[in-house]
Amino acid sequence: MRETERAELARRVLALAATDGCETTVTSGATGMTRFTQNAIHQNIASSDTTVRVRTIVGGRTGVAITNDLGDASLARAVARANEIAALAPCDDAAALLSLSSPEPAPAGAFVAATAETAPAARAATAAAIFREAEAASLWAAGYVTTAHSGITIANGAGTLVSYDGTTCGLNVKANGRDATGFAEYYGTDATLLDGASAGERAASKARAGAKPQAVDPGPWTVILEPAAIGELLSYLTDHFSAQAYDEGSSFLCDGLGRSYVGENVDMRDDCAHPLLLGMPFDYEGHPRTRVPLFEAGVAHELVTDARYAAKLGTRNTGHGLPQPDAAGPQPLHVVVAGGEKSIEELIAETKRGLLVSRFWYIRPVDARKTIVTGMTRDGTFLIENGRIVRGVRNMRFNQSILESLRSCEFARDAARTGGYGYDMVVPPVKIASFRFTSGTDF
Amino acid sequence: MTFDALADRALDTARSRGANYADIRFEDCRSERAAVRNGVVVTLTDSRSVGYGIRALVDGAWGFAASARLDDAGIDETAALAVAIARAGASVATRRFAEAPTERYVDSYRTPVDHDPASVTLGERIALLLEAEGAAHATPRVRVARAWIDLWHTEKTFYSTTGSRIAQTLVQSGSGLCALAVSDGDAQERTYPGDVGLYQSGGWEIVEAAALRENAARIGEEATQLLDAPQCPAGELDVILGGSQVSLQIHESLGHAAELDRIMGWEANFSGTSFLSPSELGTLRYGSPHVTIVIDNTMPRGFATVGYDDEGSKSVVDDIVRDGVLVGFESSRDTARTIGRATNACVRAESWRHVPMIRMCNLNLLPGNAPFAALFDDVDDGIYMESNRSWSIDDHRLNFQFGCQIGWEIKRGKRTRMVKNPTYAGVTPAFWNSCDAVADAQSWVAWGTPNCGKGEPVQTGRTSQAAAPARFRKVRVGVGYDA
Repeated sequence: MRETERAELARRVLALAATDGCETTVTSGATGMTRFTQNAIHQNIASSDTTVRVRTIVGGRTGVAITNDLGDASLARAVARANEIAALAPCDDAAALLSLSSPEPAPAGAFVAATAETAPAARAATAAAIFREAEAASLWAAGYVTTAHSGITIANGAGTLVSYDGTTCGLNVKANGRDATGFAEYYGTDATLLDGASAGERAASKARAGAKPQAVDPGPWTVILEPAAIGELLSYLTDHFSAQAYDEGSSFLCDGLGRSYVGENVDMRDDCAHPLLLGMPFDYEGHPRTRVPLFEAGVAHELVTDARYAAKLGTRNTGHGLPQPDAAGPQPLHVVVAGGEKSIEELIAETKRGLLVSRFWYIRPVDARKTIVTGMTRDGTFLIENGRIVRGVRNMRFNQSILESLRSCEFARDAARTGGYGYDMVVPPVKIASFRFTSGTDF
Repeated sequence: MTFDALADRALDTARSRGANYADIRFEDCRSERAAVRNGVVVTLTDSRSVGYGIRALVDGAWGFAASARLDDAGIDETAALAVAIARAGASVATRRFAEAPTERYVDSYRTPVDHDPASVTLGERIALLLEAEGAAHATPRVRVARAWIDLWHTEKTFYSTTGSRIAQTLVQSGSGLCALAVSDGDAQERTYPGDVGLYQSGGWEIVEAAALRENAARIGEEATQLLDAPQCPAGELDVILGGSQVSLQIHESLGHAAELDRIMGWEANFSGTSFLSPSELGTLRYGSPHVTIVIDNTMPRGFATVGYDDEGSKSVVDDIVRDGVLVGFESSRDTARTIGRATNACVRAESWRHVPMIRMCNLNLLPGNAPFAALFDDVDDGIYMESNRSWSIDDHRLNFQFGCQIGWEIKRGKRTRMVKNPTYAGVTPAFWNSCDAVADAQSWVAWGTPNCGKGEPVQTGRTSQAAAPARFRKVRVGVGYDA
């Protein structure tokens, strides 16, 4: 659904509500994903939907109703249900009032028409290019090729009407050999840049290089984490910068903002306009998203907020609200880590003995307050000796404080976009002086 | 709402475009969530989503297209797209994963409901949540308390070109609460029931069974006591796991490992594969003789109980581990065919938008003979752990490390002092082989999991693992805090 149609739909809802205390969010999207394994496509899908979310606030009481039936009767029912819920809800004195926000321009390149129009045959052709690379290396590939278009329009009774259209595309490839695997990924907005052959070759070369892996002893190791690995690790740190986590006492930042928590060479920010991570320039309350420094020279600088927490903590609204009311609190969804001076090859060359990690798996907090997490390596872990990658090693489990790992680290210069279960991030490879592995596997 | 005419149109379109087989699944899903946090309603949402997903099979390749457009043009376009997607896959296929199904069912199913949730007013629901959440603030150090109720009502109708027409009305409910206690440098959380709440198929009776009001103060007090409790010791000790943690153990270290699509590499790039192989059926000693685990998608109250799965196969009861020996896998039609078996109907889709795939459904560890209290009798030095807090397992489902919210030391057969941050780790078959007792049916609960992630795009599945507390010998505990 186009922006003009979403805006018209939003206006219809506001007219039905006939109150200044109404907000409506219209989201539309179409996703195509071609998923493959054993060098053949096994799940191949397309789905599309448009959803209308109605939030009414009456005297500090809030109700929400959601529907994807866009007929007049259905929309009227949704408005009535939101009003009914609001009438029954307890009064929330701290509920933020709806406010007027000005439209924000989408970052250049956020929407690429070619991506939105990608045909199933084009995704299949990209997948086939991956298969050829895998077959040439006597491997089999599993992964996906995806293209998507999403749009959102938020309007409220205070006069806000903001819209955004964005596209995403991605490749995810795992090359599988007899005793080793390798991984490659790419995410962007322009599907014409999807290069199946390149990703397939990168994944295959890792799988080949990791063949006949040998076990190494658990314990503290110097590690070099590629973007997919450090990105997943840091995804368990970003929630600490939520004003809600800070306010409720579950964040390490409760020890104080303005303090040094990590190395002076660590700069991390939330930035929805980064060229590799183009995103929605406003939050789910329609408020402009601002660039927020999270760590500057290792010092925790600022929390991300929404209207509620900005008022509660007496800080600025940084524009990081989720659909309101929400239980999770404001979130940094566009985290960018600054790069250093050296290439990853230089970091490897300077390592006497260490491990190169392509990717982690199933990281979970062990002690969230202390930022201790556990997880596994997967899809390409290599021993480095005297500045050279010498062989693949078997996978290992780690237990590690994320903050501790960042106190003695060095980021490489070339950042990449990486993504996983609930996060997208731009991050360069990093060398960490000591990373604690606690057990091994036989694969 | 009846979808017969639209279904006929969709299946005719798919056939005329060249599909060897097609099916269409209409869903009208209504979900309601209410959640309170520190006296404030943070979620009060009523959602309705109506749409359909069409699967088309062309030359051994599947295509799936989903849409909410319930007019003739939308049906035509979506059916044609499903066929076009299947054809695109077939055009680059180096192997065929699928054959046209032949089963035909004309039937209906309805979840048994004792107490219709619609008869409980929103005001009553919120009053329950506020009262329970308020009671969880049992001490000044409880900084945050939350309570929630989830209700789902799904009308689902499945049609296929083999003539199936299956109408189902599915009702699922759940509720829970948690308390977060905070002190300088520490934060301890307790949830109840289990680690996510009590989720089962059924109506308001499921919410009542959770008894949130009656347990809230205890949960707040336990969260507070944990702040001052000593750290769980590290070493090799006997462990008794509470029922909800056994449920998590089944889910992670058997449920996902025994999904046949994983075993075949269909989830290799994301959720991972499995250490299991079809060649090990009937021979691999997965656990001790105390361990018998079955699929039962027909059981009353099972969170994943349905009449038919999302590719139109009838729910069954099937063994996965019998007396400790691996004897089966969770399967779909296409995967079961590869091992010469019939599907055990474990195919689900999160919604009409999602492609059906193998999901863990109701996977139950059968109860043993001993009363729960008797499990402690033979433990000289051990830890009793309850309610999951952390869960991580490798992508072959072997090396795991789990943490619980609360533990108690066991000394000479008695539960003694509380310990915080209890963790344990192991390797799947060795761990299940160390099981020497499962408590009896008195403490056996169908623990639903409302948030199981799998597939790409990621689908959130509703699974269930019925379990009673169980005892495991010589387990590595205190991992993660032992440096």
